[in-house]
Amino acid sequence: MTFEGLGLEILALLAPLLEILAPLMPGDIFPRFFNMEMMQRSLIASVMVTIVAGILGVFLIVQNLSLIGDGLAHVSFGGVAIAIVIGATNPLWYALMFSVIAAICIHELQARDILTGDASIAIFLTGVLSIGLISLTVWGGGVTADIHSYLFGSQLLIDEDTLNWISYVCIFSLIIMAFIGPSLLACIVDPLAARVQGLPVKGVGLLFAIITAGAVVTMVKVVGALLVTALLVTPAATAQLVGNSFRSCLLWTQFFGITSVLGGLYVSSEMGAGSGSAIAFFAAVLFALVAISKTTVNIMSKSNDN
Amino acid sequence: MKQIQITIDESSLYGQTVLEVNDLSVTRSGKLVLEDINLEIKSGEFVGLVGPNGSGKSTLMLSILGILKAQKGSVRIYGSPPLSRNQIGKIGWVSQAAANLKKDIRITVKELVKLGTINTKNMFFRSKKEQHSAVESAIKMVGMEGYKNTDVSKLSGGQRQRAVIARALASNADFILLDEPLVGIDRNARNSLLKLLDNLCHDEGKTILMVSHDLAAIRQTAHRMIFLEQKIWFDGNSEEFPDLNELADLRGIHHVHEHASSKGEEE
Repeated sequence: MTFEGLGLEILALLAPLLEILAPLMPGDIFPRFFNMEMMQRSLIASVMVTIVAGILGVFLIVQNLSLIGDGLAHVSFGGVAIAIVIGATNPLWYALMFSVIAAICIHELQARDILTGDASIAIFLTGVLSIGLISLTVWGGGVTADIHSYLFGSQLLIDEDTLNWISYVCIFSLIIMAFIGPSLLACIVDPLAARVQGLPVKGVGLLFAIITAGAVVTMVKVVGALLVTALLVTPAATAQLVGNSFRSCLLWTQFFGITSVLGGLYVSSEMGAGSGSAIAFFAAVLFALVAISKTTVNIMSKSNDN
Repeated sequence: MKQIQITIDESSLYGQTVLEVNDLSVTRSGKLVLEDINLEIKSGEFVGLVGPNGSGKSTLMLSILGILKAQKGSVRIYGSPPLSRNQIGKIGWVSQAAANLKKDIRITVKELVKLGTINTKNMFFRSKKEQHSAVESAIKMVGMEGYKNTDVSKLSGGQRQRAVIARALASNADFILLDEPLVGIDRNARNSLLKLLDNLCHDEGKTILMVSHDLAAIRQTAHRMIFLEQKIWFDGNSEEFPDLNELADLRGIHHVHEHASSKGEEE
């Protein structure tokens, strides 16, 4: 057997398991995510992307950098637009290049106190997006269906190459995060103490920025540039409400993230809604439900105390 | 202006030199903040560093840690410049930011203390068992056994400060530097925190350098006090620390009293 790429190997490994689950799944179309190869690809890609997004999201939220995902997603979209105008075969490489460069620049602007977080994100978001849009309108013949799929996600169009590509980025991000996770947390909680401990605070921050940039590009393919924040931030924010330790927040984020993806895919396949927007909607509903029940429990326990 | 130097006759009681600052001068944004600082701290000492706001206390701490570079003079910790590899894990820093840890981060006392065990050498691979015992003993040292799994944001000011001290201890640090650890905590918590620091010094043999506005508190705990305002104006036994008017005379100024005491009340 020849190695056909990481994504396809993962698919081959999980396909039997998915087929066992297929009959248990509700709905008419939803079970096809478990027994049709094309749909299996999009399911696996979505779940992988969600896992990475959740881990990054927990770290982003505590740094007050929730909007960086949105910023980098727009930058990626600008990159995709340029790639399409040039006629590149895989626009995601261009998106990755622009996203990483923007992430490094944003990180440096913040680290050197030249601009605060939000402002530097805003500048790169609009800057690269506008270059993309200008080149599209001037040389590329306007917004096409392909462009549309990058804005709102194109889960169902994930081909073998894209699945491989997403898998490499996700697995690479997971490995790096496993190594730098604790150091990164130390640097976030108390940068000065981390430096005294000898941790390379700047290097760790930069590495995290690069990983985030890569992960955002994979998310652009799955949920679309406009909705990246739904995967990156919403599950982590919901987890903040129920978790009482950093570890439990990480685990709850995975729970909420994967639930949102499955729920969103169900809604989109049964009702014909766009998958990206359905996932984002589901994530937001989960947040609202948890927030409301938490507030209710708090009020109830307070009135019991009196 | 004259400077007083009091030699400590007990200095022979203490062990090896932990910190040595020679002729240190630091300029920050064009202003001379520290001028010709000479300082030696031996192991087992509990030193209180006092001085009005903007007197260079933080600058001195940051220079000792190696975060700020000295323009003139040198700092040696265990015989080598700050941030050298042989000091990794030996220095514990309890920053002022400790009291105002980010509220929106869910992190338990145990998780926070565990962060203290990470350093350059074990950044990627750590022994879980070693880490666990270091964390447990650090939590025990500060008396926070009952709060191991409590979210740090749910602790009181004093408890949070203890948790952050435990983080510094978890690396097995011998030399602990604290920046204003008494800010934002009530009287009882303050006294028990001072007792804890005293125990760390006497029972665990830690060397402590602590910055504080709270003259009275530092005076009753530290063995040795340093009054800093750009220069070192007093360095000696705590009992011999002059009262504030005397200090003002020494420095040829007269409002140090109001200055320092109003500071104390603000906190």
